[in-house]
Amino acid sequence: MNRYIKNWFYAGLTTALVTACAGRLDVAPTQSIEASQALNTEQDVIITLTGTYDGLSDINLYGGGIQYISELLGNNRDVVFAGTYSAMSELSQKAVTTSNTVVRDFWLFGYNTINMSNNVLSALSKVREATRGNIEGQARFIRGALYFELVKAYAKDWNDGTPAQNPGVPLVLTPTQAISDADYRARNTVAEVYTQVLDDLTKAESMLPEKQENGTGFATKGLAQAMLARVYLQQKNYASARDAANRVITSGTYQLTSNFGDAFADATNQSEVIFKLVVSEQDGVNDLNTFFASTLNQGRGDIRLQQAFLQLYEANDVRGQFINKASINTFTSKFNDQFGDVPVVRLAEMYLIRAEANLRLNTSVGAAPLADINLIRSRAKATPLTAAQLNLDAIARERRLELAFEGQLLPELKRNGTAVGTAPANANNLVLPIPQREIDTNKKLVQNAGY
Amino acid sequence: MSKLLRIILPLLFLVTQVSYAQTRTVTGRVSTSDDNSGLPGVSITVKGRTVGTLTNASGDYSISVDNDATLVYSFIGFSTIEERVGDRSTINVKLATDVRNLNEVVVTGYGQQIKRDLTGNIAKVRPADIQDQPVTTFDQAIQGKAAGVQVNAGSGKLGQAVRINIRGQSSVSASNQPLYVVDGIPITTENLSINSAQTNPLADINPLDIESIDILKDASAAAIYGSRAANGVILITTKKGKAGRTNVNFGAQYGASTPTNNVRFMNAEEYVGFYRRAAANRDRISQIDPADPDSYSTYIEDFFNAQSLGTFGTQNQVDTKWGDLAFQDAPFQQYDLNLNGGNEKTSFYISGQLLDQKGVLIGNALNRYTGRINIDHQVSSRIKVGVNTSISRTLNKRIAGDRQFDNPLQLNALVPLTPSTDPETGLETGTPPGDATIPLYYNPRINLGNTKFNTTVYRSISSIYGQLQIMKGLTFRSEFGLDVLNQQEERYWNSKTARNSSAPQGLGQNRYNRVDNYNTNNFFTYTTQLGRNVIDATLGMSYQQSERNVNFIEGRDFPSDAYQQIASAAVKSDGTSTQSNYRFLSYFARANYKLSDRYLVGLSARIDGSSRFGRNSRYGFFPAVSAGWVLTEEEFLKNNNSISFLKLRASYGRTGNAEILTAGNLSVENFPQLGLFTGDAKYAGLPGQRPSQLANPDLKWETTDQVDVGIDFGFLNNRINGEIDYYQKLTSGLLLSVNVPGTSGFATQFRNVGNLENKGFEFVLNTENLVGAFRWTTSLNFATNRNKITNLQGQVIEGGFQAMSRAVEGQPLGVFFTREYAGVNPANGDALWYKNTTAADGTVDRTTTNTYNQAERVIIGNALPKWTGGITNTFSYKGLSLTVFFNGIFGNKINFFGVGQYSSANGIYEDNQTADQLAAWTSANPNTNVPEARFYRANGSQASSRYIQDGSFVRLRTATLAYNLPKSLINRVKLNSVRLFLTGQNLFTFTKYTGWDPEVNADDTVTNIAQGYDFYSSPQARTITGGINIGF
Repeated sequence: MNRYIKNWFYAGLTTALVTACAGRLDVAPTQSIEASQALNTEQDVIITLTGTYDGLSDINLYGGGIQYISELLGNNRDVVFAGTYSAMSELSQKAVTTSNTVVRDFWLFGYNTINMSNNVLSALSKVREATRGNIEGQARFIRGALYFELVKAYAKDWNDGTPAQNPGVPLVLTPTQAISDADYRARNTVAEVYTQVLDDLTKAESMLPEKQENGTGFATKGLAQAMLARVYLQQKNYASARDAANRVITSGTYQLTSNFGDAFADATNQSEVIFKLVVSEQDGVNDLNTFFASTLNQGRGDIRLQQAFLQLYEANDVRGQFINKASINTFTSKFNDQFGDVPVVRLAEMYLIRAEANLRLNTSVGAAPLADINLIRSRAKATPLTAAQLNLDAIARERRLELAFEGQLLPELKRNGTAVGTAPANANNLVLPIPQREIDTNKKLVQNAGY
Repeated sequence: MSKLLRIILPLLFLVTQVSYAQTRTVTGRVSTSDDNSGLPGVSITVKGRTVGTLTNASGDYSISVDNDATLVYSFIGFSTIEERVGDRSTINVKLATDVRNLNEVVVTGYGQQIKRDLTGNIAKVRPADIQDQPVTTFDQAIQGKAAGVQVNAGSGKLGQAVRINIRGQSSVSASNQPLYVVDGIPITTENLSINSAQTNPLADINPLDIESIDILKDASAAAIYGSRAANGVILITTKKGKAGRTNVNFGAQYGASTPTNNVRFMNAEEYVGFYRRAAANRDRISQIDPADPDSYSTYIEDFFNAQSLGTFGTQNQVDTKWGDLAFQDAPFQQYDLNLNGGNEKTSFYISGQLLDQKGVLIGNALNRYTGRINIDHQVSSRIKVGVNTSISRTLNKRIAGDRQFDNPLQLNALVPLTPSTDPETGLETGTPPGDATIPLYYNPRINLGNTKFNTTVYRSISSIYGQLQIMKGLTFRSEFGLDVLNQQEERYWNSKTARNSSAPQGLGQNRYNRVDNYNTNNFFTYTTQLGRNVIDATLGMSYQQSERNVNFIEGRDFPSDAYQQIASAAVKSDGTSTQSNYRFLSYFARANYKLSDRYLVGLSARIDGSSRFGRNSRYGFFPAVSAGWVLTEEEFLKNNNSISFLKLRASYGRTGNAEILTAGNLSVENFPQLGLFTGDAKYAGLPGQRPSQLANPDLKWETTDQVDVGIDFGFLNNRINGEIDYYQKLTSGLLLSVNVPGTSGFATQFRNVGNLENKGFEFVLNTENLVGAFRWTTSLNFATNRNKITNLQGQVIEGGFQAMSRAVEGQPLGVFFTREYAGVNPANGDALWYKNTTAADGTVDRTTTNTYNQAERVIIGNALPKWTGGITNTFSYKGLSLTVFFNGIFGNKINFFGVGQYSSANGIYEDNQTADQLAAWTSANPNTNVPEARFYRANGSQASSRYIQDGSFVRLRTATLAYNLPKSLINRVKLNSVRLFLTGQNLFTFTKYTGWDPEVNADDTVTNIAQGYDFYSSPQARTITGGINIGF
């Protein structure tokens, strides 16, 4: 009898061991949350907007990539790229391959951030009306600015041929929840993209406050105006460019720093910088420091200034001395701080835009062109221009001297029709290829000429 | 011991019946049939009981047994003999050596079988195959030992991940690595590295504790592991005690390593001449006056002067061989001690090992302590319990990933004009307060003494079991296992390394990983014999739960270089704490049927559920069926003198692959099926979130259907024996990280898309070429595998540098897909590529172009080998033996582009060039394959077939000379055995590859697709050691 009891005990035990554990396979992630729970409250929308800025500050976007692509592709021996990153070397040599990783990642991260903006814009109903305009304005600014940067890089310039026919980049204006056939998009025209850019930036201007409580690293009304000034300038819509720049200047929100160098240090540049991406020891990377700064300033020392370029500055121009040497090589001092914020727009550029537009239109909105130019020159301790010296070439040279390495070079050359060495302004190799990865993935995309 | 178990388990119930019989003492001597010398340590057991003993040093034994007992004499490497005692009191036995014993026990999932009865394909690696080898992990030691098992150590760095591919690669994006099971418990093998160079969790296992490694290759063997078995399963069984006297074994091994190869770079004179030419060529092309201060010619002279610290052109000019400075003296020492023994109720195995090894690259070292206790105890006639437990501490002093500037092998890129020591400071050149902008790149030698990368792993792999005999033939076994892995990675860079760390006041990182991996197996085993029918069945369940926790802190700005703990860092610049987990719940069943020792049938099935799978497909079913026919048991072959064994077998089964990789992204790696937002998108001090993954609720395992047919044969009393197998593995529903249009805001999505196949032959041949006093045995295996991606539904999946590797339909996984280099235009030195554009009529344009973008990318070759194999020859005479083991890999390509884009790029950058670049085009040397040197201008240095080379090699992997001291000598000092040996590892390599080592996979680049890349990857070590084993 005992034996039977024992056997039943064993049988029961073994059954229990074999059948335990059922229903334990539903495991929720602890590190992330499911998308369905991510955008349900105002706080959710706000943190997604913060994430959108984080995307915008990526090294492939305003964290440095957008700027150095323009500077390297537009470079004609002002600098030598001596680094070993082949993707950047290709840019410098104007021999970009379709698999270039910088080209691939600018596209990927650009649209990744646009998708974040679209997530914010799709969930505005969760936000109280009092803050809705500010949030929408910021998301629209980021989306508009990115489409502007993408269309400048991956498509023919506005001034090259017919914008209404030239392929631009695909416009995506809704967030992606799943991939369907509709997500395999063709390129919109350059004109369509510009229309969207102007729509987003104009709305942003009307919605954004003069100042954001969290500082210069966030979009403001002045920033939307400044970006509009750039867009109109690229379209050679000088009147609108002039007016937008003038709105920034006359708002009184921004002041030039008294010393040129102060415009490039976080501690002193708050008044002049209209927008910068915040970098700290704990977050973000300043990729302009990575490539423009010497190894002594924690950069790679890849982009080295040439004597011919430095000689463009007159001897007393402090901008020509805003350099440093490491071994036999010379570097700009604009990005010496490894954890410095990455500047995107400075007030000085608005003066230069207003001056050029006024000169071209023969107007003096806000100030006479000569006054604006000399405001910039005298801050740099350079000899003021005389009225006789003031012409479009002088303004173009001033832009080159003042804004060097800040990402404005290539679109400027294209707008003015200036050749880059032997490559004419409309050369195919001054337009980035659509990344091979995208061409392979999406058959609707048409590659740019020359690739 | 596993053999013992097999005999004991089914017969446990007999114990009570035989225990009343009369007993007597049997004595005798066991000797070898070769030379009649006594064999110590032979296991003698009573069939059906736990009673046993071992022969003493001279081969004599004594045992108490019953009249009707049968004694089983077994010893590794010899045929087992059974003798019925009857009325004898003296039984002398001669054991014959046996290369591959058909009665050898093979470990299967949740059970074991004798090799003769196998219907699937299981390759066994024995302790003798891996002993003496001075390698850190056992997986390195099984290279070339088992047909169809390809091992690539990738790098000569210590304790780094080794890639093992069993019967090819069955996945594009998920893991291609086998499941590892130690004593029944699936162990943690995931990479836990802080950087992209993978660590190897198998390094925590002492190879000398391993009794057998059984590799489940075909589906009938592996399907019992269901959704995790598609890449094969490696079962590791640790050593157990043997009843009888307590054996004490001590081993010591000592030696040193050197790199297998070095590559010649230009010397100072060659460098200067070459770069002057490159700069002049560039000035000519860019139409710059060489006298211009911005000219390349001016620059290069200034550069020579700066890099030489002013010694260029002076008496003090140097010619530094930087490449030689990447290596260090690399001693190896290992000490181990083990005890085993026990009685009929309890047996034990206790071991300890100390391994202390330096790598060939400067700064690399590994130190490991391991201990193990395995105990088995018979509680009663029906209950048996046991415990296997190990602890280990591994300290790996690691070095940078291959692509980092401080990878020592990148010293080769430095300019030979630069002195290695700064004469001003007496320190390594580039060390502050000296000029930190010299040499050309960060000097990796500054790392010595100024950085730390200590990875300390505490690991315990333990399991307990209880086994109950419910009734005759039916047992229930419950196992519970716990694998706890604690890994701490401490990194520190002091102020002297600022050029590399970008932290002028020091940087510290500390990362702590803990993986708790629980597993329980509960299963019934039933064995019965009804006349000529033998049935063996298993039914049970398994549950596994693994949780990984990671904490990380980073600090910068230390008060001085004397402070190294992050407590002192002024800025805590980063910190995270993360968690992830997964679970598996499984049910399995198996039945093996044998009729008349002749006809064999096996059936198995497993149902696997996993938290990793989508909600719409949570459980998978994995069946297998197999059959075997032993022809030599049939009348027409039974008494054939030449054919001693012949078995035909065939199997079909389904396995899966649930190891969905997401490139170490902890937040999503175990939740590939979910649409996710991740809260790591902070900005300007504010918290933020971002969409991080697209959902796929249908996501499930990859499914592999495998067919295997094989022959096992033995001729001339099995003096010649072997196996031939043909298999086909068809994998469907590939777990692909599918490219989606970037405009969606995402780059990829996990989907089950597409199919691939692996087909191959395996051939194993063991021969006893000479028997007698002088013995010569040969063990040969080779295998071919053809991998082909049959369907990707148009997906483009790329990897590697410049996306040179790609998954292409109709091609093997990871073919190199790039432009085809066409050499040099003799007229002007331009690099040329074949256009390879396909016209509308299908013709391919084979004309050349000097415009890179005009050339189409084509398939250049395959990183996967076509053939792999190994051959071991063992010669022995009296106590002396020599084992010579070669292995080889054939038909694969290696991509040198990682190195060559800088160093074999005809002078595009200032990096020192491989000496072959001296052949660069000049008007006097127009017929060359190296384009004209053009400074800072790509001329053929773009990704192309120029850098893709044949990677085939044959390597003298190990040669071991061993001498067992004569018994007569050592018995006088009361020792049981003394063995002296000398081993050489990687002594010779035969290859056409021009890089350091053809056994290469750049450690921070390698993926399933991106294989065969070299990026200043460390060559393997050539290690010569001597050792002694003493048995007390």
